[in-house]
Amino acid sequence: MTIALPLPKTTPAVRGTRAGYRQAVAAEVSKIASLRSTRWIFAITAVGTMLVTFLSTNGAAHHPRGWYSYGWDPTNQSMAGLAIGSLALGVLGVLTISGEYGSGTMRSTLAAVPRRETLFAAKVTVLGLLTLVVGEILSFAAFFFGQAVLSGGVAPYAHLGQPGVLRAVVLTGAFLSLFALLGLGLGFVIRHTAGAIATFAGVTLLAPILLHTLSSDPSKYTPAIIFAQSVSAVVPQTNQVSATIGFVLMLVYVAVALVAGVVLLVKRDA
Amino acid sequence: MIVTRGLTKRYGKTVAVDALSFTVTSGVVTGFLGPNGSGKSTTMRMVMGLDVPDAGQATVNGLLYDELRWPLREVGALLDAKAFHPGRTARQHLRYLAKSNDIPEARIDEVLDLVGLASVADKRAGKFSLGMGQRLGIAGALLGDPGVLLFDEPVNGLDPEGIRWARHLLRDLAAEGRTVLVSSHLISEMALTAERLVVIGRGTLIAETSVEEFAAQHQAVAVRVVTPTPQLMVSALTKAGVRPTVADDGGIVVTGLASARIGEIAAGSSLTLHELTPIRASLEDAFMELTSDSVEYRSHGREPVAALVPASAAPR
Repeated sequence: MTIALPLPKTTPAVRGTRAGYRQAVAAEVSKIASLRSTRWIFAITAVGTMLVTFLSTNGAAHHPRGWYSYGWDPTNQSMAGLAIGSLALGVLGVLTISGEYGSGTMRSTLAAVPRRETLFAAKVTVLGLLTLVVGEILSFAAFFFGQAVLSGGVAPYAHLGQPGVLRAVVLTGAFLSLFALLGLGLGFVIRHTAGAIATFAGVTLLAPILLHTLSSDPSKYTPAIIFAQSVSAVVPQTNQVSATIGFVLMLVYVAVALVAGVVLLVKRDA
Repeated sequence: MIVTRGLTKRYGKTVAVDALSFTVTSGVVTGFLGPNGSGKSTTMRMVMGLDVPDAGQATVNGLLYDELRWPLREVGALLDAKAFHPGRTARQHLRYLAKSNDIPEARIDEVLDLVGLASVADKRAGKFSLGMGQRLGIAGALLGDPGVLLFDEPVNGLDPEGIRWARHLLRDLAAEGRTVLVSSHLISEMALTAERLVVIGRGTLIAETSVEEFAAQHQAVAVRVVTPTPQLMVSALTKAGVRPTVADDGGIVVTGLASARIGEIAAGSSLTLHELTPIRASLEDAFMELTSDSVEYRSHGREPVAALVPASAAPR
C-alpha cells in the first residue's frame, strides 16, 4: 500500500513576485536537454556534415582543374555538408514544439506557463541560442576540416584572415540557427510533426527546384539557395543575391513564421 | 475556490458548455459528474486557461488562470493521463515543471514518493502503464503543493489498490483545506469519494448539491417485506395508509414507511415476518434518470433496467 499521508510540507522558496520569463527559460532548457532526440540530431548532424565536407573537399583537392576556372571558392566548398545541418536543425525546431503537441506535454507546459507570449519567448530564446552555438561550432568545424583536407591536395585553400572568409563562416553558422527558428515557427503554426516537417522540407528542398523552372528564376530567394550560394560564399556568384541581402531575407522569413506562430499560439485553444 | 459564471464554449454549431455556473469550495471533494461528452473536460480546460470560453469566465481564487502569479503553486491539475513526453523520465518531466515555477528540486522526490513512483523515477514515461501515467500526472498536480486541484477521471487505468489510494488521497487533500474538483462519469465512484456534486448534462448544470442530498432527493427508498400471509399484511399496510405492491416472488414492496414502522404494524396484527429489508434504487439509477435527457452517446437496444437492489449493496 502506498497511502502516503499527510502530504509532505514543503514551502517553496519564493523568489521574485511571479513566475515569468526567467523561469520559463529554465524550464525550456530543462526540456530540450532531457530529450534524446536533441542529442541524436546533433550527433547525426555533426557526423553527416563532416562526412559530406570531407567528400566535397577531398574530391576538389585532387581534381582541381575546371573548379577554379569558374571562381574557385574553397570556403564555400567546405560548407557543402552544412546542408545536412540546415535540414536537421530545422527538424529540431519543428520537434521542439510539435513534439509537445503530439505527446500532450503542451497541456502540462501551459498549465505551468499560462502566459503564452512568455512561453513563446522562452522557446525562441532557448532554441535560438542553442542552435546558434551549435551552428557556429559546425560551421567553424566544417571550415577548418575542409581547409585541412584541401591543404593536402593541389587546390588553393582559404584561411580566416582572407577577406570575407570569417564573415562567410560566422553568417553560415548563424544561418543554421535561423533554419531552426523557421522550423519552430512552422511547428507553432502547424502543430503536427509530419505536416510541419513536410512543409519545412517543401520550403527548403522543393521550393528551389520548382522556382528554378520559372524564367525569372526566383529560386535564389529561397532559404536553401541563399544558404548554399550567398551566405556561405566568399566569391560572389553570378545570379545570386549578396550575403547581406540573403541573410536579411532569411531574417524576414523567420520573422514571418515566428509572428504567425505566436499569434496562433495566443489565439488558438491548446 | 473555483468559480464559473456563464461559462460557454461552442465548437461550430455544437454547444459543448452552455452558460455553466457553479462554485467549488475548499475543504471537501467535489465530484464533477456527467455522461461522456457532457462537457466536463472542456469545462476543466477552460478553468485551466487551455481553452478560451466563448462567453462567461472561470476563475481560480478570484483570478483568471493566466493571472495567477505562480500557477503550479496555486493550481494542480491532472487533465489527461498522457500529458508528458514519452522520451522523458518521470523525474525529467517533473523537473521542467518545477523549474517553471521555482519549485525546489527536493520536492520532485517527495511527490514521486507520494504517488509510489520513486522506484521508476528514472524510467522513461513512454514505458509506463496507464495507471503509472495517472500517478505521474497526479505527481505533477501535487508538485507545487497547490491549494486548488483538478482531476479529470483520475482513477482511469488504476488498479483496485490504486483506486483506493486515489480516493484516500483526494479526501486527504480536501481535509487539509484544499479545493478538490474530480470529474467522473461514474456516480458510484463519486459516492465513495466526493461530498459535494456538480452534475452536468449536455453542457448545462443539472444539479449542484451534496451527495447526501442528491441521494435523498433522487432515490426512491422502499422496504421489502416477506411474510407467509401476504394478503393479511397487505390489508394491514393499506389500513396504515400506504399502497403496497406485491412482487412476482410474493414479496411486498412498501414505499413511504420506515421498516421499523412496518415491523410494528406486523406485530400489531400478530403477523409473522420472514424478511424486512430496506431497499433503494442505486445512485446509479438516480443519476441515469436525471441525465437521461442529456446523454450524448447512447447505445441502442436494451433499455436500462432500474433494478432495485438492497441498500446494503448500494453505494453509501
